[in-house]
Amino acid sequence: MLTSINPTMKAFAVLIPALLLAFSFDPLTPFIYLVFTIAITFLFGKISFKRWLLVFSPFLLLAVSFAWMTMLHPSDTFSGGEVIFSLWSLEVTSDSFWTGISLGLRSLSFAALSLLFILTTDSTKFMLSLMQQCKLPPKLTFGILAGYRFLPTFRYELQVLKQAHRIRGVGRARGVKERLHQFRRYAIPLLANAIRKAERVALAMESKGFTGESDRTHYHEMSINKRDWVFVSVFFGMFLVSIFISYQLGILNIFGIEFEKY
Amino acid sequence: MLNKWNLREIVLMAILGVVFAVIYLFFFTVGTGITNILTPFGLGPFGYEVIFGIWFIVSIITAYIIRKPGAALISETIAGGVQVLLGSPAGPMLIVSAFIQGLGAESVFAATKYRNYSKGVLIAAGIGPAIFSFIWGLYHSGYIALSLPLLSSMLIVRVISGALIAGLLGKWISERLAETGVLRSYTLGKEWQTKREQKAS
Repeated sequence: MLTSINPTMKAFAVLIPALLLAFSFDPLTPFIYLVFTIAITFLFGKISFKRWLLVFSPFLLLAVSFAWMTMLHPSDTFSGGEVIFSLWSLEVTSDSFWTGISLGLRSLSFAALSLLFILTTDSTKFMLSLMQQCKLPPKLTFGILAGYRFLPTFRYELQVLKQAHRIRGVGRARGVKERLHQFRRYAIPLLANAIRKAERVALAMESKGFTGESDRTHYHEMSINKRDWVFVSVFFGMFLVSIFISYQLGILNIFGIEFEKY
Repeated sequence: MLNKWNLREIVLMAILGVVFAVIYLFFFTVGTGITNILTPFGLGPFGYEVIFGIWFIVSIITAYIIRKPGAALISETIAGGVQVLLGSPAGPMLIVSAFIQGLGAESVFAATKYRNYSKGVLIAAGIGPAIFSFIWGLYHSGYIALSLPLLSSMLIVRVISGALIAGLLGKWISERLAETGVLRSYTLGKEWQTKREQKAS
């Protein structure tokens, strides 16, 4: 079901909560949102758990790393509370501990939101939808799609370049200086080729009568339905719900200001 | 903004955006590697700070080659968007952060009214996005919860990385490309050719 949502609307659905979640500094709000996002991913996404976990796990590490840094080096606003433990003369207090957990969970919910988008969206459809719904200029859209299509060719060219060097007796680079030299030998010809391709594509587009006007017909019509609006509203609504639950439990914290429930 | 551009320049910008999106994605892995080493000291995220400049480089290269308003901003945003197409796990938010970084470089070129592309300006254009992205990180990644000494050292590392990797390396790559002659129909290539003719005569 997630694959059939309009890509632009889906992008907004995951962007808006990700922008708003950055307000909260308590652990519960991002946690509720994380659980919600993961639930939606697997209920409506038809994604294999293994594949999801494979992409998600590096973020687990990053989140732990960031949470750890926050615990050890908090700002004054977030360093109150009792000392839980100390390490290398750095003290971890209860406030900084929970702030660290909160920021870690925040980055995890960002990651879960992104995966929900990435794993269920077709790249070409996303570009076409950006052109039709967000008024991205067709010249830019088709330029990007053309470049995108060239990527496998670039990999092939790199192989050819490597073989050409080897056949002329240029060995594998050793040491920093040779590596830098090698970088130049590969990067510049590859980029030069890309620029040549860009020129050829532009000429081809013009000679085929491509004017780049936005008033044009489309082979793949992308449209926005009622369902897309519901989808965006659910994601926004869930943000309000998670804020509300944290508030009800008296945990809500926005930029270090705690909202006690009276 | 794109009205004054010809198709050739637009397509070049798009393709540079695509190529650098791949490079950006690759450096994400490099950053993760350095992060793993630094994590035990509670300095994990510095892994990205050291190489942060690489993520601004397309702005400098495109603006230096094409020299039109919008080159830095749009090329960076394209690179962000193409990373999403390639399936970067950072998702659509990358477009927003790329836009903010592009804005950082664009504002420097705008301040010179798109006339000056000297070394100093290109370095400043590498520093601009470092500052813009840092302010964005204060809000979005919650850096605001970190202590001031840590924050300032992060900013300094990012600014240096922006100046060196985005500014100087970006300038160097553009000029090596101009030397190959493929940029003949773009502003940098033309400038390079007149220089060469002057030298010869």
